Amino acid sequence: METILNVDKISKSFGRIKAVNQLSFEVMKGQVFGILGPNGSGKTTTLSMLLDLIPPDNGQFSWFQQLPSKESRKRIGSVIESPNFFPYLDAVTNLKIVADIKDKPYDDIDEVLQLAGLYERRFSKFKTFSFGMRQRLAVASALLGKPEVLILDEPTNGLDPQGIAQIREIIALVASRGTTILLASHLLDEVQKICSYVVVLRKGIMLFSGNVKEVLAVSDSVELSASDMPGLTAAIREFPGFISFNEAEGLIQVHFSMTVNTSEINAFLYQKGILLSHLAEKKRSLEQHFLELLQDTP
Amino acid sequence: MIKLLKIEFKKIRTYKVFWILAGLYFVFLAAGILLAEFMINHTVNNINQRMPIPFPHVAIYYFPDVWQNVAFFASIRYVLIFPAIIMIILITNEFTYKTIRQNVINGMSKTEFLVSKLMIILLTALIITVILTAGAFFIGLSHSGFNEVDFFTKGIPFMTGFFLSLLCYMIYAFFCGFILRNTGMAIAIFTLYSLIIEPVIYFFFRAPFMFKNTIYTYLPVNSVIRLTEYPAIPMLKKMMGLNLQDHVSFIACLIPLAYASVMTAIVFWVMKRKDL
Repeated sequence: METILNVDKISKSFGRIKAVNQLSFEVMKGQVFGILGPNGSGKTTTLSMLLDLIPPDNGQFSWFQQLPSKESRKRIGSVIESPNFFPYLDAVTNLKIVADIKDKPYDDIDEVLQLAGLYERRFSKFKTFSFGMRQRLAVASALLGKPEVLILDEPTNGLDPQGIAQIREIIALVASRGTTILLASHLLDEVQKICSYVVVLRKGIMLFSGNVKEVLAVSDSVELSASDMPGLTAAIREFPGFISFNEAEGLIQVHFSMTVNTSEINAFLYQKGILLSHLAEKKRSLEQHFLELLQDTP
Repeated sequence: MIKLLKIEFKKIRTYKVFWILAGLYFVFLAAGILLAEFMINHTVNNINQRMPIPFPHVAIYYFPDVWQNVAFFASIRYVLIFPAIIMIILITNEFTYKTIRQNVINGMSKTEFLVSKLMIILLTALIITVILTAGAFFIGLSHSGFNEVDFFTKGIPFMTGFFLSLLCYMIYAFFCGFILRNTGMAIAIFTLYSLIIEPVIYFFFRAPFMFKNTIYTYLPVNSVIRLTEYPAIPMLKKMMGLNLQDHVSFIACLIPLAYASVMTAIVFWVMKRKDL
């Protein structure tokens, strides 16, 4: 597989705060790659460095296996933070400026405007656009000239559910065409729905990276209680898929790496001579899981 | 290069603020030049009421003096500040709307961005100078006709001097806007410095004799305005002595050019290092 982006130990500090610390990852052609982390974890700083807005303190990166340059940026469509356009120009003129910079013809301006649902408003000034329309225009401008890579920074931030759905629909369509996508988000659910690979950031440090299914696998947990608690904790370790348990108020909460069947647990423990006084299945929400993911590591 | 100008032109073509300010500038410029003679003679009339021997009326629109006079009235601070403010707005807009960021994200290099702005400044200075030259030519023609032998002798040096004044002053404005990044603050500080702070410095550092060089001579805004320091009025010349300017000094041109070059270099240096 062809490497689109290679990031090698890049770091950036703002004063004493290390915004990004020794971050490395690799994005392959056609991947939908997520950068997941809470606010202030260094996502936007990372993307800003990759787009030459901020020079990194240390480390390097390459686009399309070449040193980054304005030419490599012309092959990338980006939406970073807020949509940035001239408020007094209409949508078409704003997009023409983008096309001029990217050395792309004006041919697909109509097409991207239609895709973003803004074709009817194409001669309206940008300042008359609603928040959702502005965001969609930003996505439209990123799609101009059929970029090989699409970079999206919190593309659905602040949008209403309908706006979120519209943006996700566009992303899905672009991804289906084989465009490589790099998406930064603080929403686990968004990354999980859209991305195939992910790096998880916290305070500029990479916590995990890999396949979304592995990193963000939602393990179920089960609450157990028995009169013989030491026997129970010893026995449950042997159950297939066991990860860890927490003790709380006379019962233990056990995490498994896969979905488990409570009756199997009951039968398994019965065989070991443990009689359960309490057995309950606990489903964790994705957000809760994400928070745990961030907290579990020191 | 052409591509960069095309992009810049798209940014201003439908920008009302730009055209309104440009229109106001030309109204002030034309009014300043065309009313100058009337206003000078009005003052002369007032003085004459208290004079036993009246001063003669002045005529400032004759070849070849018209060139120096037009250049003088066009480089008065209050007129020159219009194109400077327009440049401040054009550069600070890019920061306000974060379009400078977006341009770089989309594949413009930081150098290209600065070059495109400098090209707009150069082109604006050229266009204004051409319009002013044509205006001065027609004013001169309507007052003196072609019979004057040296009708163009002063034309090229004074119009070139005006072009340099305008170019350097707009580069100062561009520098101020780029460093401060905020439209209101940049306009306030630039106007304050040009119209108040430098004149105050002049008040404290003026030389005992009017034509001697002082610190004031070397201040950025004054050095721009000083390229055409006095109008060409024969009567004034008699009163003030022979020292009065009748050409654009090459040495005097070097001062604003040096300031503008240093500022341009700083802008490029900052752009390379600062986060957008």
